[in-house]
Amino acid sequence: MLRKRILSLTVAIGLSAVALTACSSGAPGDDTPVPTGTVAGAPDWCGPKQITLGLLDGFGGNSWRLITTAAGADEVAKCPSVTKYEYADGQGDTQKSISDIQGMVAKGVNALVVFPDAGEAMLPALRSAYQAGVVTVPYRVNPGGKDGVDYDAWIGADFSTDGANWAKWIQTNLPDGGNILFLSGPKGNSQGEDEYNAMTGALDPAKYKFIGETPFEPTNWDPAVTQQVLTAAIAKNPKIDVLVSDFGPSLLGALPEFQKSGRSIPALVTTDGNSLGCFYDANKAANPDFKMMTVATGNDNVRLAVQYAVAKATGGKLPTTTKFEAPTFEDSVSSTPNPVECKSDLPGDIFLSAEMPAADQAALLKK
Amino acid sequence: MERQVTGLKRPRRRASKGLITVGVALVILLVASAVLAPSSLSQGAVLGMLPFASVLAVVGLGQMLVVQQGGIDLSVPGAVSLAIVIVSRIPNGDNALLVPAILLAFGFAAAAGLLNGFLVGRLGLNAIIATLGTNALLFAAVLGISGGSPTTTTRLLQSVAGGLSFGIPNSVFFAAVVSVVVIVLVKKTVAGRRFEAIGANPTAARATGLRVRVHQTAAYVWAQLLYCIAGVLLAGITAQPTAFQGNTYLIPAVAVVVLGGTSLLGGRGFPLATVVAAVFLSQLDQFNLAVGVPYAVRTLVQAAALAVGVALYTIDWSRVRGRFTSSRPTKVATTV
Repeated sequence: MLRKRILSLTVAIGLSAVALTACSSGAPGDDTPVPTGTVAGAPDWCGPKQITLGLLDGFGGNSWRLITTAAGADEVAKCPSVTKYEYADGQGDTQKSISDIQGMVAKGVNALVVFPDAGEAMLPALRSAYQAGVVTVPYRVNPGGKDGVDYDAWIGADFSTDGANWAKWIQTNLPDGGNILFLSGPKGNSQGEDEYNAMTGALDPAKYKFIGETPFEPTNWDPAVTQQVLTAAIAKNPKIDVLVSDFGPSLLGALPEFQKSGRSIPALVTTDGNSLGCFYDANKAANPDFKMMTVATGNDNVRLAVQYAVAKATGGKLPTTTKFEAPTFEDSVSSTPNPVECKSDLPGDIFLSAEMPAADQAALLKK
Repeated sequence: MERQVTGLKRPRRRASKGLITVGVALVILLVASAVLAPSSLSQGAVLGMLPFASVLAVVGLGQMLVVQQGGIDLSVPGAVSLAIVIVSRIPNGDNALLVPAILLAFGFAAAAGLLNGFLVGRLGLNAIIATLGTNALLFAAVLGISGGSPTTTTRLLQSVAGGLSFGIPNSVFFAAVVSVVVIVLVKKTVAGRRFEAIGANPTAARATGLRVRVHQTAAYVWAQLLYCIAGVLLAGITAQPTAFQGNTYLIPAVAVVVLGGTSLLGGRGFPLATVVAAVFLSQLDQFNLAVGVPYAVRTLVQAAALAVGVALYTIDWSRVRGRFTSSRPTKVATTV
């Protein structure tokens, strides 16, 4: 009986999670003026003052993040004034992400580039780092707060640009109008709403009709839900002219539903992914209406954030914008800026739109 | 096939209540679909619904085996996700590695089942706590293997699990085979009859000399093997799954068991009714989508289906009726 109880206790302890919080005091602010100028052979955002830089991820565990993190490190390496570079992964745990920031500040880093996955929950930690005199640059996800008050600058992604690019392509390729089905992530996510508003702002409502739930059909960016939602939409709407999605690769299992209903895959405007490019190549012949346009998935958002943080901390030239605008990437009709690309010998979940070469991305994922 | 008589069963009258209830519910739903949302019964919609119904049926059958032993298995999300990650990440696009990867997935599933069985059957831990813990361990394995991203599944798996044969999704054949195996094993073999007897009354079963712990452990192992099959099918069906694809199966897996009429207290299992309930829930989803119900309401409808299922079988309706009718005269008396 005792043995049984000890065993049960051991198992119970083993299964319970113990959260450890790291407490640390902020480093004193560095008030000496930053010398300005440039470093020979380096980009103009790289100033002469030597610094330590920390890159913090809220959740580092998927291929998009792996490639993004490597892109950040690659950008840092362009500036010799950054003498030390550190990385920490919050592993999806808000408390760890906060203590990562505090730990870096305590260690005396001069600049922090942060992916604040937890949103506003990260704001107090960002603010305390900023107040401790560390150049603090959150990027991509909006942590709330204000530039120059809670942190130096938020380098967000401008999702309205995506919406505007999609609308432009739709107007060019379907000038007579049509039915548009827009799929996005969880209900109420601001990314989908910004994209929808940009599209409706540009498209004439008399010609272009959004079918299904507005602003978008929620799919949670989950491929199984996407498949179910699309199946129902296909059955319900005899005419879908354009499919819009802000996460292209999640459509891979869903697109064949069109063929199962005896219809061609329609025009698709979305974000890029190698697997999607290869899907297009394999299916375009059997689907006469299948045209595809993608915008970059935005791995290089981190590069702009690193440039801003390094420029501010080393005394280099600040980038002219604090908004990352994802460029148009593939267009199967005009082939500008690129035709649809597929590297079938490389993994499906690399992003050919990223600045980092495809082979390097593949090597990262193989690790 | 439901009506077999052993000395340890409940009265015959209740035998197929689950199948009748869920069967009638499915027919009503199909009629409603035909009238209110005919598009949800179009060929494309049905072909799109059946693969997910098949996966849910297989997961539900696994959960049913555990519920029959008076337990509950909350490690479904981790188990399904782990199978998906193993069969997509290990081959990494190479068809030749698919079979070894599937075997490896079954190995992990058996290990997870043994762990659950050991914690619940042998150590006597509460099933909810123990299987939740196992679920966390399984997700640790998911992240360890995949780094959070399972990558695209191999073309071979996509065509085997996601393809069609004779106009019917292949996953339906897999689910049918699994159902027949479960029905035959539980209802037609000596071991299966012992299994049900133990679930109905472990104390009496122990007194008659049956090995209660072995059968309880076996329930968790079989369940994990079924989750693994479901995960492999789901990986092929979705083509580019996420590492957390199993998360959406936690509640539906319990819901189909309950709707099928299997008591959460253990005892007799109703595999056929569980499969019909899986079709019912999947068609309900498709119906909601076709009618254009907002997303928020869709999740409510699922929860309501579970609540109604539990209420149907656990509330003593004759007593409720009795209370209702007996209270009426007093009401009249006071108002007059």
